[in-house]
Amino acid sequence: MSAAIPIPVIQLLQVLTIAIGAPGITGVIAKVEARLQGRRGPRIRQPYYDLAKLFRKEALAPDGASWFFLAAPLIAVAAYLTIPLLIPVLTSYGLPLGYMGDILGGGFLLSLASFVVATAALETGSPYAQLGSSRAKTFSAITEPVVLFVVFTVALLTGTDLPYALAATVRSSAGQIIRPAHLLAAAALFMVILHETGRIPVETHTGTYEFGMIEEARSFEHSGPFFALLKWGSELKQLILYTILADVFLAPWGLASSQRAGAVVLAIAALLAKATAVGCVVAVIDNSFAKLRLFKITEFVAGAFLLAVLGVFTLYLGGG
Amino acid sequence: MDPAQAPGVYEGAANVIAAVMLLIEFGMLRQALARDQVRLYMAQSALISVLAIVIAADRNLPELYVLAALSAALKVVAVPLVLRRLLARTGDDEEEAVGVAGSNTLSPATAVLAGIVLAAFGFFCFGAMGIHGPAAPATALAIAGAMVLVAFGLMIVRRDVASQAIGFFSLENAISLAALVVASGLPLILETAFLFDLLVAVVVFSMLIRTHHTRAESLSTADLTRLRG
Repeated sequence: MSAAIPIPVIQLLQVLTIAIGAPGITGVIAKVEARLQGRRGPRIRQPYYDLAKLFRKEALAPDGASWFFLAAPLIAVAAYLTIPLLIPVLTSYGLPLGYMGDILGGGFLLSLASFVVATAALETGSPYAQLGSSRAKTFSAITEPVVLFVVFTVALLTGTDLPYALAATVRSSAGQIIRPAHLLAAAALFMVILHETGRIPVETHTGTYEFGMIEEARSFEHSGPFFALLKWGSELKQLILYTILADVFLAPWGLASSQRAGAVVLAIAALLAKATAVGCVVAVIDNSFAKLRLFKITEFVAGAFLLAVLGVFTLYLGGG
Repeated sequence: MDPAQAPGVYEGAANVIAAVMLLIEFGMLRQALARDQVRLYMAQSALISVLAIVIAADRNLPELYVLAALSAALKVVAVPLVLRRLLARTGDDEEEAVGVAGSNTLSPATAVLAGIVLAAFGFFCFGAMGIHGPAAPATALAIAGAMVLVAFGLMIVRRDVASQAIGFFSLENAISLAALVVASGLPLILETAFLFDLLVAVVVFSMLIRTHHTRAESLSTADLTRLRG
């Protein structure tokens, strides 16, 4: 028997797992993607080196930018680091702070982070940063209904909208996994995640072609530690969304059900393995589809909306 | 509000198959190539056979296996083959890839949204009829109703004969879905008779496609509007 870990420490571990694991997952995806293309690819640790290098560099701000330009990356990272307190990252039982907010609370924090980053990009006066933030806001306005419908599905499935409750429902029986409402909502969420993390078919993740950029363009004017925070923030967002998909919707197994150290360590490994698996799927998608033209993105989102709406429909007749 | 009860695994599987068939119907709505539409029709028909097998296994109805095999032979192999040959003959220089993209009267995203409205209407209409039973998953039946309306929508928003034919065939798929879910115990001979109705439709539509193509030199029905009195 291993020793029990106090609850506050587990809660802290949830945040640390996400914070430290996030760049690693990005590195794994980059590596897998490169291998699929027949390249050797960067080291998996490369994102950590990038962050370390950027944190050592000088920070510059454009002329006329206010304090908000520099505060935005900090606010964004703070928001991202709050979300792991609300979702099941390591434990299957709710931690004390886990009931601070429901899925919508997490959604608000994600929107807040993306809002401050977009506002900071607007302040720079750089055309590309402004283009990026304007596009990001336009498209997030049309993905918002999809997220809402996914939340409705969760609410109808569990009678609450706490992520812990849905995970427990999914674990409870095979009938809960195979019902169309759950599968449709999970598929819609996956499409939203592809959109939110700026992956193909919405956006090319690597490359310097500004006209195709949405999320990537927003950080053009930031430098040094602040740029590092933005980069780290987008990696955090990616791992958080993967965690929601894996630990709440698709595979809420392998979470620690007690406070024993062994179980918690196992849960950390399981989370990273699940996120890697999701990342591999994303890398395969990255390599098998072309980027959509900007005005075709609405069709992609309309597809996700269709899935989410059908999920709610099927529930209304009780059968779904 | 009470959490929704999970249906059994069999009912869940039937509902999932029905939902995927409806999604394929939506896929046809936004597909730009007739070839890809035929491919989607094949996938949809294959799912109907899978559903027949699932129901056969669950309710111990061995004749449904025969129906599944017949339906697969007809809808996954024969009908797409006929359609492909027809399309290859009507295609002009590049015999492959008959584009029907220009035949959209609505943009794909709008068509999908309109389809969602139609599907919702069909869904709740069938839901309101309140057909319940231990052997009839209400959701799968309602999805079949939604599919019928979306297939009608596909025939309406497309202005070419090929998409309209495929819309009609997939409408038949929707009706087979409803029949399988509600009356899977029907005698095999009746089910087979319904299946052969499809053959009549195929003959009619292939005549229509060929006549229209020889007269108008295109698959588009847009030229027919000037025939109005």
